[in-house]
Amino acid sequence: MVDGGNPMTTEHVRRVAPAPRHASPRTTEPAKQRILNRLGGSAADLTKQTISPYAAAVLRIGYGLLYLTFLLREFPHRDEIWGPGSPWTPALATELFTQTGWNSILTLSDSRAYFEVCYGAALVICALFLLGWRTRATSILFAVVVASFHARAIYMTDGGDNLTLLMAVYLMFTACGRRWSLDARRSRLRAVPDNVDAPPETPATSGPYQSLRAARQTVTTVMHNCAMFVIAAQVCIVYGAAGLYKVQGGTWGNGTALHYVVNNSLFRPWPALSAMVDSYPILVAAVSYLTVLLQVAFPFVLFSRLKYVVLAMLMGMHLSIAVLMGLPLFSGAMIIADAVFLPDRFYRFLEQAWRRARGGSPLP
Amino acid sequence: MRALRQQASRTQREGSEPQIVDRMVTDGEQPTEPPQLVQAATGIAVALCLMISVVHLMAVFLHVAPSNPISQRYDEQIDAWINPVFEQNWKLFAPDPDAVSRQISARTKRTSPTGAVEVSAWFDLTAVDDSAVKHNPFPSHTTINLLRRAWTAYLDTHGNDDQPRSQRARMVQEYLRNIAVDRVAGYRGDPFEAIQLRVITRAIPLPATKDGPQPAISIPAETRELPWWTVETR
Repeated sequence: MVDGGNPMTTEHVRRVAPAPRHASPRTTEPAKQRILNRLGGSAADLTKQTISPYAAAVLRIGYGLLYLTFLLREFPHRDEIWGPGSPWTPALATELFTQTGWNSILTLSDSRAYFEVCYGAALVICALFLLGWRTRATSILFAVVVASFHARAIYMTDGGDNLTLLMAVYLMFTACGRRWSLDARRSRLRAVPDNVDAPPETPATSGPYQSLRAARQTVTTVMHNCAMFVIAAQVCIVYGAAGLYKVQGGTWGNGTALHYVVNNSLFRPWPALSAMVDSYPILVAAVSYLTVLLQVAFPFVLFSRLKYVVLAMLMGMHLSIAVLMGLPLFSGAMIIADAVFLPDRFYRFLEQAWRRARGGSPLP
Repeated sequence: MRALRQQASRTQREGSEPQIVDRMVTDGEQPTEPPQLVQAATGIAVALCLMISVVHLMAVFLHVAPSNPISQRYDEQIDAWINPVFEQNWKLFAPDPDAVSRQISARTKRTSPTGAVEVSAWFDLTAVDDSAVKHNPFPSHTTINLLRRAWTAYLDTHGNDDQPRSQRARMVQEYLRNIAVDRVAGYRGDPFEAIQLRVITRAIPLPATKDGPQPAISIPAETRELPWWTVETR
C-alpha cells in the first residue's frame, strides 16, 4: 500500500496536531479525493500507529492460556506425546527433522530429566507470555516452545495445533504486550499517570540516539501492523480454504455431511446428544449448509457490519464443536483467532466496564 | 491500481509536510533531521516488512490452494518458504467427512517355554479410545489423534501394500508398531515377540430419510490384516 518513501516524520507523532486533511469537512470533499485522502491517511497510520493493540493483547492472552491449558491437560500423557518414551521415538523424530527441516529443543537430549526441565520451562514461558512480562523476548520463547512441542509430536497434531503454531510465530512480530500486560503496567507506573498511551518520555536530547529511537519505533510499528494484517489474512485463508474444500464434497452438497461427523466415534463424547442431532435430518442439512456458507462468506463480510453477525455465528459454531465433538482446544484456537477482527473500541469498552466493576481502581 | 498507489503515497507525503511544520512550532527548537543513513535504513526495513508480508501471504495462499499453474511453476520456491513452520492444511472434514469407521485391533505372538507358538486374542485398541472419549469434555490428543493419525499416515505412505517402499513408510510403520506395542503392553504385562494389527473398516449407515431409517444396505465390512512385526525391546 505504501512505498518505503518517507517514514521519518514520525518522531513525536502523538504530540503534533492532526494534519489539515483530517480537519477538512468531509461533506464538501469530492468522493474521489476523500478516498485518496483516506488511503493516504492509512498509509501514514501504517508507520505511526499500532493497529489493534487490544486485539493483539487478546491473541497473546488467548494463545498463551490455550497452550498452557494444553500442556497441563496432557500432563499425565506428556511422556507419550513429547517425551523420550513416545512411540514416535526421539530417533524417529530426529530422522524426520533431517527430511523436513524441522527442529525441536526436545530432541537435543534423550534424557528423561532434560525433558521434564523443558516441560516445566514451557509451562513458565506460557504463563509469562500470557501475563505479558518482557513480552518481546517472551513471545520469541513462546514461539520456540510451541514450534518445538509441535514438531516433536507432528503426527499427533490437528488443525487447532497448526493454527496455534502459526499464531505463535506471527505474534513474535506484533507489539502484543502494549495492553493488558505486566509490561503495560510497568510503563504506566513509570509514566505520567494521565498519559497512558504515550511511550515513556525521555529528556529532549537530540542527535543520533533520538533518531535511532524514532527509527526503531517506526520499524516496530510497521512490523506490528504487517503482522496483524498477516494474522487477519491467515484467518481468512483458513476459513476460505476450509469452506471451498467442503464445496467440492458430495455430502456437504447434499446436506448430509454432519450426519457422518456426529457418527464418528472419536468425536462423539456425548453419544446421546450426537444421536439427538442426527435424528433431525432438517437440522443436519441446515447446519451443514450454514457451515459452508459461513466459511466461504467470511473473507467477504469483513468490510461491513455484517461481520459481527458472522463472527457471532462462527463463535456459536465453534462452541457447538467444542461440546458436541469434544474438541475444546481446536475450537478455542479458532475463537481466539476470530478475536482479531473485533475493533479496539469494543475492547476498550470491556476495559472500562471492568474498571467500573472494580470500583474505578486502575487495572492490575 | 498502480496509479492509485502512487497517488496515495503522494497524498501521504503532502499530508506529512504540515506535521513537520507543526513540530517546528510546538517543539520550539531546531528540528534535527535524522541522519540520512538512519533514514535510509528505516525506509529499507519498512519496505522489507511490507514485501515479506505480501510474499508470505501469496506463498501461503498458493500452498493452501489446490495445485494450479502458478503453484506448479513456483513449486520449489513455495515449498522453501512454507516448510516446515508455515505448513498447513485446512481440509477440515473436507471434501467429505469420513463415511467409514475403523476398528483397529492388535494381537501378539510368543513362543512358550515348551516351544509351542502362542497367539493371543485380538485386543481392540479403538474401543479403548472410544471409551476414553465417552463422557469426556476434554479428550487427550493421545486418544483422538494418536492412533487415528498414525493409521492415516500408514495409508498415505503404504496404500494397500504392506511393504514399506519409502523411508517415510518405514518410519510410519515403526511408529504404528510402537503404538500397538505400548498399548498392549500397558494392558497386559506378559512379554511377546511379535505383534499384528487388524483394521476393520465399516461404512457408517446412510442417514435416515423421511420414510424412516435407510434399509441396511449391507456394505460388507472390509478386514485388513497387516503382517506380523517382530518386536525389539526398546
